[in-house]
Amino acid sequence: MAVTTPQQATGQVAIRASREPRNVFVRMYRQWADYAYIFPALFAMFFVIAYPIAYTIYLSFYSTPTAGDNVWNGLTNYTSIITAERFWMITQNTMYWTIVSTILAFIIGTGAALIAQREFIGRGLVRGIFLIPWVISHVATAYIWVWIFHSDYGLVSGMLMDLGIISSPLVILDSTTWAMPALILVNVWKDFPFIMIMMLAGLQTVPDHLIRAAKMDGASTWQQFRHVTLPHLKGVIIITLLLTIVMNLNHFTLPWIMTGGGPASTTHIWITEVYALAFRSLRFGIASAFSVVLFIIMMSMAYFYVKAMTAGDDRRR
Amino acid sequence: MAEVRLDSVIKYYDNVLAVDDVSLTMKDGDFVALLGPSGCGKTTTLNLIAGLIEISDGEIWIGDRDVTDLDPKDRDIAMVFQNYALYPTKTVYGNLAFPLQMRKASKDQIDERVRRTAEMLSISHLLERRPRELSGGQQQRVALGRALVRDPRVFLMDEPLSNLDAKLRVQMRAELKRFHQDLNATMIYVTHDQLEAMTMADNIAVMSDGRVQQYGPPEEIFYDPANLFVAGFIGSPAMNFLYGEVVVEGGVTSVKGDEGWEYPLTPENAQKASHATNGRIIIGARPANFILSREEAPGLIPGSIYTVEPTGDSTFVHITIGEQIFVAITDPFFRADPDDPIWIDLEDERIHVFDEGTEEVLRVDGLNSQSQHGRRTLQPA
Repeated sequence: MAVTTPQQATGQVAIRASREPRNVFVRMYRQWADYAYIFPALFAMFFVIAYPIAYTIYLSFYSTPTAGDNVWNGLTNYTSIITAERFWMITQNTMYWTIVSTILAFIIGTGAALIAQREFIGRGLVRGIFLIPWVISHVATAYIWVWIFHSDYGLVSGMLMDLGIISSPLVILDSTTWAMPALILVNVWKDFPFIMIMMLAGLQTVPDHLIRAAKMDGASTWQQFRHVTLPHLKGVIIITLLLTIVMNLNHFTLPWIMTGGGPASTTHIWITEVYALAFRSLRFGIASAFSVVLFIIMMSMAYFYVKAMTAGDDRRR
Repeated sequence: MAEVRLDSVIKYYDNVLAVDDVSLTMKDGDFVALLGPSGCGKTTTLNLIAGLIEISDGEIWIGDRDVTDLDPKDRDIAMVFQNYALYPTKTVYGNLAFPLQMRKASKDQIDERVRRTAEMLSISHLLERRPRELSGGQQQRVALGRALVRDPRVFLMDEPLSNLDAKLRVQMRAELKRFHQDLNATMIYVTHDQLEAMTMADNIAVMSDGRVQQYGPPEEIFYDPANLFVAGFIGSPAMNFLYGEVVVEGGVTSVKGDEGWEYPLTPENAQKASHATNGRIIIGARPANFILSREEAPGLIPGSIYTVEPTGDSTFVHITIGEQIFVAITDPFFRADPDDPIWIDLEDERIHVFDEGTEEVLRVDGLNSQSQHGRRTLQPA
């Protein structure tokens, strides 16, 4: 009869561990079926994502005259972008647009979530109404608000004049001062339901017994929110903020349709600028270089996003 | 410390009656257990005392204050939750300090009390940890500490031991009882575990269907159950119930069992049985009050062995009488084979006589002083 001593037992474990192949290719070969399953998706992604990105990077080092072949010009596209005053103005516009939109949408969305979470008669209806902006397409939203802001026929001007608050029509989307705030207003109106949904989902996971414990401990409604709800929502808040920031940075439809970047480029943001450079001015090289800069910025955001997501995984484990 | 008084408390959830006219007085410094099966309304009652749910009707008094409409924070009570409900993002120190911070205690005061409480519960070495780094027993202590730290007038505990393993539960049970004795605080303790209630409580309120079935010290609940529910709920193995008709023949009162047996009653029990509303009674006999005999004799109840379970200290004998199976506890060396005939005598002064119609206990004078249908405030006997 074989008696296993502890030493022998550890020896066996060591042998078994050493049988696990060190070579990553051997291990990949053993899991070939897994790779086969994801191959179709990877194959498609190569053509619609990897190839365009690679081609964009390639183009960013070339001058692309409308007539004739592309000419290698090294980093010239990049240096001309970064040294141009216009780039910094547009970056400023983009930051203004993104930060203010995100903060306002977050505050309003969280408030809406707190309201929609409470139990009251007609809650379903209120939730439904809050969701309306989210289900209207961006293009439709843009045209609705262009009409509302229209100086001669618009709802805003008309109502204010009827009420006698102003005497001449308000110029909004054609004003260098008011065009951007108006765009942000529309963007917040359009985006807050998304934040509401995210926060509502988060709020519903706040354990009831913690709220009750806080009540027993003497916490006021605000203190319950501050000490129990908010810490519990930290993960949701980070992810929602990151997603909203990326969405806003990438936003094209609203500014492009409502103002086309005008007046005097005051509402041009990165994306509209890239589009205008490429498809209006046909300066593909410089547009590509611009895209690569944005790509790097977005990827760094993505890094934080993935990190925030996986931090949650670790906590669950 | 304070007395807690419930006065005709009623709670409806939508149209479901969860707490049905409960009146109870929990004396200052008492350890009161609310005991009952799940869904009996015990946790709802506790939450009503805590102020976590709104009362439908009735009044709740703590000391000389009517707290019926006060917020939980204004009732000066602390609660220990079944799943501990520790704040996961705060350290143990933060958890213990929280109730004091909410009451705007000074930093020094908080520090002093947190450390003293931690010392008392032997968790001083855990103060910097977070709840998820603690074992179940340690979390339990922190939860207890959070209740102790601010010295409330009343402690409420909602099945605080039910998430612990069996060994730890026995240990914490003793600790809790000791705490209660040291602090001399009013504690209201919800449990479905009769052993917890019996071992720790000064008084037990047995609840079922939203009503208090009986309220009194553990011995009274065990030895003098007010009705069939309490009799059947308390005790393990459960009390045996023998159903039968009261017959009087030649001046002797006996019970004629549905299975055909006939058991003569002592004059005292006959007196009790005479109050039965429809001439039928239920005899309640605890397993230990069955006396087994292998010899047939007049006045014994015939049965047959179903199975025998030796437990070491004693032997559980399962006996078939008619279609039903009863349990007797007998000496540790009793052995028998299945289907062996057996005759049962009862310890007459220990058995209980219940009215089959009302399921209330029958007493010599016919009155059940513990009946809760009189809508009076129940005082522990």
